Amino acid sequence: MPANQPLWLRAVIRLERAIGEPIESAVRSDTYFDLVSTTTRVRRKVTGTAEGVSRRALHLLNLPAGSDIRTMRQQLARMERRLNQLSHDVSELDESAVRSDEA
Amino acid sequence: MNPRIPSTLNPADVLTRVNRDVERSILRARNGIRYVRGTHRPALGMTPKEVVWKRDKAELWRYKGGDRRYGPPVVIVHSLVSRSYILDLRPGNSTVEYLTKAGLDVYMLDWGVPDELDADNDLERYVDSYLPRALDAARRTSGHEEVTLAGYCLGGVIAALYAAGHEDARVRNLILMATPVDYSEMGAMVALLREGRLDPDALIDETGNVPADALYSGFYMLAPTVEVAQKATLLENLWNDEFVEGFQAMATWSRDHVPFPGAAFRQLVDLLVRQNILMTGSMPLGGRIVDLADVRGNVLNAMAERDNVVPPPAVEPVMELVGDPARREELRLPGGHVTFGTGRSAFKHTMPKLTGWIIDHSDPA
Repeated sequence: MPANQPLWLRAVIRLERAIGEPIESAVRSDTYFDLVSTTTRVRRKVTGTAEGVSRRALHLLNLPAGSDIRTMRQQLARMERRLNQLSHDVSELDESAVRSDEA
Repeated sequence: MNPRIPSTLNPADVLTRVNRDVERSILRARNGIRYVRGTHRPALGMTPKEVVWKRDKAELWRYKGGDRRYGPPVVIVHSLVSRSYILDLRPGNSTVEYLTKAGLDVYMLDWGVPDELDADNDLERYVDSYLPRALDAARRTSGHEEVTLAGYCLGGVIAALYAAGHEDARVRNLILMATPVDYSEMGAMVALLREGRLDPDALIDETGNVPADALYSGFYMLAPTVEVAQKATLLENLWNDEFVEGFQAMATWSRDHVPFPGAAFRQLVDLLVRQNILMTGSMPLGGRIVDLADVRGNVLNAMAERDNVVPPPAVEPVMELVGDPARREELRLPGGHVTFGTGRSAFKHTMPKLTGWIIDHSDPA
């Protein structure tokens, strides 16, 4: 800690460490990681169940659900990736043809 | 003067201190208003550069301005989880600028900000597709056959896998900066991803990537209260323009993460974290086995002694695994994970030592 720091700052830093160190050791413990894992799993399960119910309800009314739109976006992204890849392949073939012509 | 009377009671000194405190209070008020309003933010990543190659979101930048006196070119491969401007933070406090001014020809491979289109990017895409093409562009534009490849954090893993997995790699020097190989030593950073805890898909969102917020939370939870002390230090130094600028630059970077492509994240969790496969010395990649010992150039394993993101024990095994034992060197630096990019320690130790090593292993142009 630099000696020219004012007293109030030293006190804040000391206090922060006094509180921070036990918190840091708590959030690095196995108990904490197990708790976060369980909470995340439960939250996903609850979200999944709620989504399933709302999806069925929306489908009854012939309406698309959020998960349908998500699937469609993923399919579009996959298609765009494939197109990009093909376009890169074609440009590389062109470039290599130009290089071999030059050689 | 009576020695029992403190010198602070000298009227001239008191006046000087009052003047100084008044001036500082005015500056504090001005900078405080600017800080709260979010104006006068420092410009980041300002070393002049040009894009010399681009594919999807990945770009290779070549830095301008320096007198290029050494070869081969230095190609920096950045990590997949943070923004590359940490290595070019601010003028006068930038590793890239330092290397450029030292006469090196510096390139940066920046991965951009992944979105849905990048969700299928796996490690093969980075190691076998983007990196070889970017290096071809670096060779073509610099006129050198070889490169000095420098990987930072996960970028080091990508660089090492490339240098080991490509017979035609032509990497004269491989610099691994805070590059984790022993994931059993990564501690809290990967604890949630261990077997029996979170499935990688639990962190992947509807775009197919791990959102930047999830990555930020992981870093934030390493020291959740430290921000209080940082803000108090800022308050004390609010009068100092340079301090405020540096604080804002670091604060911006530390919150500015990018999404992690889902496919690469699944591989990272399965192969690197759960199987700790790099510690076997090899890794399956693109239908082949990449042996880390096959790296042919000089290897510099650089680590930061107070790194709490990639602790030294996670980095040290590079010295037993990567490249030819006779061509491995270790560089221990004081400081934390960002000492490779910014800070007093970076300027005093990291930049001169890294630059010196690179020049020693380069040729005059």
